[in-house]
Amino acid sequence: MTGMTSYYISRAVISVAFGALFAVTGSPWWTAMLIGGFVFAFFLWAPRSGRYSVHPELGITALRRDERTQVINDKAARNAFVVSMLTLGGITVYFGALALTNVPIAVLKLVIVIGALTYFVSDLWLRRSQQ
Amino acid sequence: MNLHNRLKEIRLHKNFTQESLADAVGVTRQTIIAVEKEKFVPSVKLALELASALDTPIEKVFWLEKSRGEKS
Repeated sequence: MTGMTSYYISRAVISVAFGALFAVTGSPWWTAMLIGGFVFAFFLWAPRSGRYSVHPELGITALRRDERTQVINDKAARNAFVVSMLTLGGITVYFGALALTNVPIAVLKLVIVIGALTYFVSDLWLRRSQQ
Repeated sequence: MNLHNRLKEIRLHKNFTQESLADAVGVTRQTIIAVEKEKFVPSVKLALELASALDTPIEKVFWLEKSRGEKS
């Protein structure tokens, strides 16, 4: 059995187990199947994505981010953190010193959205510029 | 100081594809492409693994060069 064959077989087992977990915890059977399908689709996509390298000898942790992906993820996370903190600072100053009201929860949720968006845009941009 | 490399030239000389070299050192093909184009500076560990996979002394694969205007 080649390395990749054992990878695909083990990932199929993990996907079925994942779907079964949802089924036994009360999710409808079609939701469980769909989730299992999505998990397996991810495992099929991962080795071709350029983000993960496959090490079948590592068993259940066969999928690893490779060195370049780790560097890109770290930079994207740093960018997201800085942008989130600056946004939070700006919001705090605005509501504390100018609007003189409490910060609405909806505005704070926006900080998380902006942070997540910064992470994904940075990841995509760094991936394109470093190839 | 900028890191330069002769990875592509040595890889082709040793009959490795980007894919086979990537598999040999446990990274993705995209990482090999990025290193060859000097868009990504590999860690010391990866540089040593690449040199070892190509059976070439590391100093023949990677070397440092002063960038323009840099004082010694």
